[in-house]
Amino acid sequence: MFGAFRPTGTNLGGLLWKTPWKLSVTRKANARARLKKVDAVIEAVRASGVQCESLNRALELPKEHEMPAKDKYTIFSATTKGYRKGIHKVPKWTRMTLRTNPKGF
Amino acid sequence: MSAILKSRSATLALSSRSWTRCSSLRAMSTANSSTQPETSASSLATTSEVSHNTHFKVTLKRSGISLGDKVKGTLLALGFHRRFQTVYHRHTPEAAGMILKVKELVEVENVPEHMVRTPEEQRRERKAVRGYKVVGNRRESLLNV
Repeated sequence: MFGAFRPTGTNLGGLLWKTPWKLSVTRKANARARLKKVDAVIEAVRASGVQCESLNRALELPKEHEMPAKDKYTIFSATTKGYRKGIHKVPKWTRMTLRTNPKGF
Repeated sequence: MSAILKSRSATLALSSRSWTRCSSLRAMSTANSSTQPETSASSLATTSEVSHNTHFKVTLKRSGISLGDKVKGTLLALGFHRRFQTVYHRHTPEAAGMILKVKELVEVENVPEHMVRTPEEQRRERKAVRGYKVVGNRRESLLNV
């Protein structure tokens, strides 16, 4: 009833903090576009011919078209039922690489 | 001269083909100029400077705000002070490592040596051309009598 994170209801001038459980179609499309952009960056570095350890690690990451939808829009969560939560719940998820999850989850 | 260029283009083609193993599906490359050496080298047989990509053209598209000191430090090391700034780095493992550290924030293109621009040159290129030409003014004409 009181505090910063109030639920819905008559809140005159109060804050409403509601995050949808899953991503909308638009958000998913934007997420896919961002993954493709990162793929393009890795591809440009690879095409330059430079050899370094971080490039080897980056090339091991799955590309956007190789990733299952589950990995694109959800992420492993040890504390959630089903061990998966929406990737949008991760802070700064639009600017981080979150492509792989523990095997089997 | 042309033989040297043709052999160089052949080695370039060979090296690029052997490097693309399963990553031949990576069609979303921003580096359109990376395919230039194979075509331009064969056509421009007389030029001494083949358009062989030597630099990364890196543009900051997303900021590093609240990503931590390491990422911010990497952006500073690359030379970034604001979004949409463009910097040029020679093809070195150090530059490649820095770019890959901030790969989510950055856009990369491979460019040849002659396409590299200093900040002053970039500023000059951004300037709009005046739609008029100043031919003189009254004070100058009076002084010159």
